[in-house]
Amino acid sequence: MSITPEQLRYCDSHEWAYVADKSSGIATIGISAFAVEELTDLVFMALPKIGQTVTAGNEFGEVESVKAVSPMYSPVSGTVVEVHSELVDKLESLSVDPYNEGWIIKVKMSDVAELDRLLDWDAYKKQCNH
Amino acid sequence: MQSLVDSSKAKESELSDSVEGLVIVDPPRSGESNMAIDEALLRNATPAWPVVLRVYRWDRPTLSIGHFQQLEDRNEVPHLSELPWVRRKTGGGAIVHDRELTYSILIPNRANYSVKGHNEALYRAVHSSFVEQLQELGWDARLSESCTCAATVEKIPAHFLCFSRRSPVDLIIDNAKILGSAQRRSATGLLQHGSFLLCRSQSTPELCGLLDAPGGSNPNHQKKMREIAQDVASLLEADSDTESSSRVLDDWIEFFVETLTQGVSRLLPINWQNGSISNLL
Repeated sequence: MSITPEQLRYCDSHEWAYVADKSSGIATIGISAFAVEELTDLVFMALPKIGQTVTAGNEFGEVESVKAVSPMYSPVSGTVVEVHSELVDKLESLSVDPYNEGWIIKVKMSDVAELDRLLDWDAYKKQCNH
Repeated sequence: MQSLVDSSKAKESELSDSVEGLVIVDPPRSGESNMAIDEALLRNATPAWPVVLRVYRWDRPTLSIGHFQQLEDRNEVPHLSELPWVRRKTGGGAIVHDRELTYSILIPNRANYSVKGHNEALYRAVHSSFVEQLQELGWDARLSESCTCAATVEKIPAHFLCFSRRSPVDLIIDNAKILGSAQRRSATGLLQHGSFLLCRSQSTPELCGLLDAPGGSNPNHQKKMREIAQDVASLLEADSDTESSSRVLDDWIEFFVETLTQGVSRLLPINWQNGSISNLL
């Protein structure tokens, strides 16, 4: 079943987290459609390695568009358990489907409560329309 | 936090409070030193810092490669492997820093900076300022408004050299790219690098600089530019820094600084002051 933007939690820096089952503690992480649209032509992406530790609010990767290198920030803390490594060769799929085909990493969260500090869809939408 | 993009840009009319700006004109340095300074500026920037404009040269012809570029790809272009090289924190293609001027602009991350995350605006403001200044001096300068970036979608590798690529805001004269810029964002701010080609480099003879460009339809202007080009090309050589010739170069640096400050001031009302790296680091 497809993930929809309404099901996600967001950073104000435009990354999203999706947790299908809180008991699993696994968060799927990506960047929002708004960010992809604003970034326009994505040409490079650098991703973390499996096993790497990430911290909420800190960088987990980088993306280049229009000659600008920008960090991607993790919405949650934990350990990277899966990396969408094929994505770096098909970045255009981020424009087509940023919430499913465009997922970036999966993280085993160390603190599930961090999800509550993220924006819900309505709050994020409001931020983007500000 | 400096996010991927800015979804809450302040309108220019909201930016009534002017901010401080520091202009630093640095002596020629090695590639490592130049990039280390810019990285340190970005890493150490705080919201209390001024906007920083640093104008500099390189103490020998040096290749800088974009953050994501592969070093081995320099073999695509003859002679590049003979040059010392350094990696930039900014994106884009490789640049031979030879007969050119380089700038970096640091915008510290502050909530009321309208350029937070808005890369296109800063590119365009700076480059448009150069277009206007050069047009006043007689060149047919314009923004490219075309892009080779579509090639990435078609999986055609981009040319290794920045000045062989085109993005819409690149400054073009007679189809030659004269000014190109690239950016880096971090939690502390936005760094923009740019390179302004004055004269053709022997390492990249296929790329002409401002003073090699015909310079409009006025034959007198063209002749004058060719004469200046010869002067500038010779004094940009490391061993020709005589007092009289460096005055010519100083004039170009002054033009460069003025045009850059006017460009950035289109986005932010800035009180510019001269300073040095030691004011910040």
